[in-house]
Amino acid sequence: MKYRILLLVAAVSLIAAACGGDSDPTTTTAAPGDGGTSAAPGEVIDIDFWVAFSDEARLGFAEDRAAEFNTKHPEYNIEVTSFASYNDAFDAAVLAVDSGEPPGIIHFFEAATRQALDAVGADGNPIFKSVTEAIAGRSEILGEPVVLDSVVSAARDYYTVDGSFYSMPWNTSTTVMFNNMDMLKAAGVNEPPETWGDVEDACEAIMGMADAPSGCITWPNHSWFVEQSLGQQGELLGNADNGRSGRATEVYLESDGMLNYVGWWKELADNGYYTYTGLQRDWDGTSNAYIAEEVAMLIYSSSDTTFFDENTTFDNQASFMPRNEDVAYVGNLIGGATLWMLDGMDTATQDGALAFMNFFSNPANAAAWHQLTGYVPITQDAVDLLQGEGWYDESPNSKVASDQLAAAENTPASLGALLGNFVGIRDVITIAIEDILVNDLDVATRMAQANEEANKSLSEYEQLYGG
Amino acid sequence: MAGLAPGVQRRGMVRGRKWPFHLGLTATALIIAFPLLYAALIATQNNPEIFSFRVTPGTALRSNFEAVWVNRDFAGAMWNTVQMSFYVTAGKTVLSLLAGLAFVYFKFRGKWIVFFFVLVTLMMPTEVMILAMFRMVSGFGWQDTMTALVAPFLASATGAFLFRQHFANLPGELLEASQIDGASPIKFLTKVLIPISWNVIAALSVIQFVYTWNMFLWPSLIIRDEARQVVQVSLQTLTNIDGALTYGPLMLAAIIASIPPAIVFLLLQKRFMSGFAIGQDK
Amino acid sequence: MLIIGLVGAALVGPLYTWRNSDTVSVRRFGIASAVAVAGAAVSPIAMGQCGFAAEATGVDALFAYGLMAGGALLALMALQALFDRADGKVKESTAMAGEIRTGGYRMGWWVPWLLLSPTLIILLVFLYRPAVETFTLSTQLTRLGAPKSVDVCFSNFTEVLIDNPFKLVLYPLLAIGAVYGARFWTRRSLPGSASHRAAGVASVAAMLSVFVALYAMFSPGGGGQIAYRPIYINTVIISVGIVALGMIGGLAVAYLAFRDIRGGTLYRTLLIWPYAISPAVAGVLFFMIFDPTAGVFTHVMDSWFGIDVPNYREHAVLAQGAIILASAWKILGYNILFYLAGLQTVPIDQIEAAVIDGASAWQRFTKIVLPALSPITFFLLVTNLTYAFFEVYATIDFMTKGAPAGKTSVAIYEIIRVGVNNGDLGRGAAQSVLLFIAVIGVTLWQFRTSGSRVSYGGA
Repeated sequence: MKYRILLLVAAVSLIAAACGGDSDPTTTTAAPGDGGTSAAPGEVIDIDFWVAFSDEARLGFAEDRAAEFNTKHPEYNIEVTSFASYNDAFDAAVLAVDSGEPPGIIHFFEAATRQALDAVGADGNPIFKSVTEAIAGRSEILGEPVVLDSVVSAARDYYTVDGSFYSMPWNTSTTVMFNNMDMLKAAGVNEPPETWGDVEDACEAIMGMADAPSGCITWPNHSWFVEQSLGQQGELLGNADNGRSGRATEVYLESDGMLNYVGWWKELADNGYYTYTGLQRDWDGTSNAYIAEEVAMLIYSSSDTTFFDENTTFDNQASFMPRNEDVAYVGNLIGGATLWMLDGMDTATQDGALAFMNFFSNPANAAAWHQLTGYVPITQDAVDLLQGEGWYDESPNSKVASDQLAAAENTPASLGALLGNFVGIRDVITIAIEDILVNDLDVATRMAQANEEANKSLSEYEQLYGG
Repeated sequence: MAGLAPGVQRRGMVRGRKWPFHLGLTATALIIAFPLLYAALIATQNNPEIFSFRVTPGTALRSNFEAVWVNRDFAGAMWNTVQMSFYVTAGKTVLSLLAGLAFVYFKFRGKWIVFFFVLVTLMMPTEVMILAMFRMVSGFGWQDTMTALVAPFLASATGAFLFRQHFANLPGELLEASQIDGASPIKFLTKVLIPISWNVIAALSVIQFVYTWNMFLWPSLIIRDEARQVVQVSLQTLTNIDGALTYGPLMLAAIIASIPPAIVFLLLQKRFMSGFAIGQDK
Repeated sequence: MLIIGLVGAALVGPLYTWRNSDTVSVRRFGIASAVAVAGAAVSPIAMGQCGFAAEATGVDALFAYGLMAGGALLALMALQALFDRADGKVKESTAMAGEIRTGGYRMGWWVPWLLLSPTLIILLVFLYRPAVETFTLSTQLTRLGAPKSVDVCFSNFTEVLIDNPFKLVLYPLLAIGAVYGARFWTRRSLPGSASHRAAGVASVAAMLSVFVALYAMFSPGGGGQIAYRPIYINTVIISVGIVALGMIGGLAVAYLAFRDIRGGTLYRTLLIWPYAISPAVAGVLFFMIFDPTAGVFTHVMDSWFGIDVPNYREHAVLAQGAIILASAWKILGYNILFYLAGLQTVPIDQIEAAVIDGASAWQRFTKIVLPALSPITFFLLVTNLTYAFFEVYATIDFMTKGAPAGKTSVAIYEIIRVGVNNGDLGRGAAQSVLLFIAVIGVTLWQFRTSGSRVSYGGA
């Protein structure tokens, strides 16, 4: 017995010794943020690129583009690091900046925009540099054409703060509805529902069928859908024009638009039409329910359009997110994430990062990204390219998201809010809605409580970051 | 107290027929094994097979394995976890041995203060100070490093006290004999104490290895880079393989993640139990 | 306000020394008085007397006094230890018994320190320092990566409690009174009498009153307060559920398995292996079993029994039950292991005598086996409780993520949600302090009750 233990220990130590070379991970990555030292000629410049995806398709896309860029520009080495979620990447970036080893390019989601703008390093200076400012009017960098001017308006308007693109748009989507047309038609509904009333009628018909599914409609309990509905109804989420004409210091979770939407949601649930998977932000569970034909309709991100086209065995048709027929439609907003560039890099490194970001979203790459996923083609050039190839005739579902964004008016409400501690405020909204759905609470009372919590949270954030 | 070893039986406790006990034990063992057996079944199936509730093995074991082991680099996560568990277990054992040696075989001023200092940490689980530790360790610039996974767990009050008590119960003549030979404390430890302490070392190692291997909260905070993550946390990203909930790869990964601690536990089971006799019987 | 507290400390100091010392003198009273004042003054100096500021509430003042009292008490306890040493009254049993060996190494004083230093440094840097920082953070409003932080005095604590200072004092006093009253009654009544049995019932009720008092002290939310009461209830339900199910199940299986039958070793291995499974994997396995779409549980209930089981994540009882079941399953092996060991120590001759006396199997179990197992039971109670407080995090994260509506969010889960996911370090740290106090309470109770039984040796 003793020898067995000794053998075990010896074996493990041997393995550990053999692989000891890579046991210290700090040595494997370079830190481009270290400051002003220019790389010596002939030396390869490392740029860390943090991506908040871990699935094969999307992470793989980023890795493949990085590899292509590295081949094309051998003086640079873009190194992709993967994170499980937007929140993980964001937290890690904040910590990395604090400890002085941040990556060159970070992938942040839209809700972190205000926080990214507010983020300061140990020296008190902002840690990110405006991409517009860094490009400084150039039309190409290291031979890569600058694509910023061609960015579609919905994304341009969302991410332009004080007249400047701080970050480079990448994956951009909007909410669309996916319809199981076989099921809808069986219930006598021939067109995808457009309004809340249409949805209710369709659900009544579907749930009245002899072989009715277990529910009629579902979507993730994610604050993004609430924000979309506020945009549709032309309501602001925060003051100062949704935080676009100044810092937002107040949020409105008790507005009519909010109560309308949450009230409608609860009514669907009470009638047994809406299926709640029981988890917040449950993208997987809701998508599974739709694919498994447990529901007839799914409101979801357009980012998975291609996935649903490929993985459904029924007639899957995309349509606009249903709207409130009692108020005038203003517009849906975008969601997704952008690439932020670190400040303080030397010129050569910074140009490498800029060149990569423009290469990453050049028409061919942006079009390929759209076809792979369903995120909207981020530049007009990419749209033209896809049109020329006849892509939209082939996959009409892929056009719905772009059409919906084009239909929106350009108002602060439909642009979406820029808020401090937006992630925490979204959490307050999600929790309140779960409370309402699960515990059958009064919408107005519970949202009033959420309003109080969210405003407290925002004012505390402003205490630490504002002014 | 050797009576704790499972092999040592006591007579006279069973009267009458034995088959009801066999039946009861077999049934209990099956109930306890059910979650794992079920997971093993699911691990061989793809989603359509799972949704049709087949009770026979499916066709997807190979593709599930590739999805987990190759595409998601679960192998990398396993290797990270092996390293972490090995370093923590080895480090904790060595440090505890040294502390036990100092407590038992030395007289020095302030010993009771040191003893108290270590004793108090028994009521300071890492979890209650995890936020401050997270902030502090990331302030060291250690996020996404093996150091952050290992360093905070190298010392253990339980380990130090376990060896202290074990050494204190050994005959005092051991030290006298080795002092006559002029052995240094370290030589005394390696040549005399360790060879007669394998049971305790094994018991502590099993506990520490299994504990470290199964850590979840701390790695989930301090390691965000997927390539440096440990298996318990990596399981999370496997719920979604290609856009939807995929059960097969997740179950397969859960089983793979349980193999190393199970092997360590089974290999050292006997020693583990007799080591516990020393820790427990006072 | 501050003066009242300091004067109080000056009076309590001599009283404490008088109660606890054999030797009393005016000089010692003087020292005790000074030490108590110094101990009481630490917290107001560190926190700038914020608890007594003009805008502070009664609850704030209560906290300030509480901290002063705690500081004074700790200082007096340390002083008493010194007095006792001076009196030669050091209880050998407390710590040092056993290791004073014949001889011992006679080497430089630095040798033992060198041997201990790695352990001490690690403990200092990775336990003591974060512990102190947790307390500091708990008095601040701060975020991860924020350029500044704001001192908020006790507000991170007061907002999870009810805002009535009198009730906050009254409830714990009532609970403590009940516990001591029941203990007094038990001691006064004659063993075997009806009064004694009633006192036993009263003791249990008094223990429960501690839980009730805490329930009443935590805020139900609203009015700017944070609803911590639900978190407390979740923690109690889930912890008690895991401990009860895990331990009763463990004892039952061990009692079945420790008999001398063929294949006993194999059976034992087949029963205890879940010890090696992680809480995360336990979460994954039960996530699969209970999955509303693909899980076997829903399917079997529906197709065999015609019961339409709702999604467990939407119903508090089902969700909590699922967490309890998964965790109890995981810890079952551990409990079986220890009970198997404990059962070997049951006095065999007593059992044989009981068999001759004609005692039934159940009587033998309750009168002989259970009492013999009580040290093990107690040890397992504490380890299981620790498991239910902390390790359950991973299981919850895989199964429910706190759903439905936070009904499976226990204290540790809430700490991470608030402190990391929402980045609110101050509030997260304050909740950590609450959990810290609970852990200290359990540990002290363990030390007091178990005496020399548990495994740290000598102590």
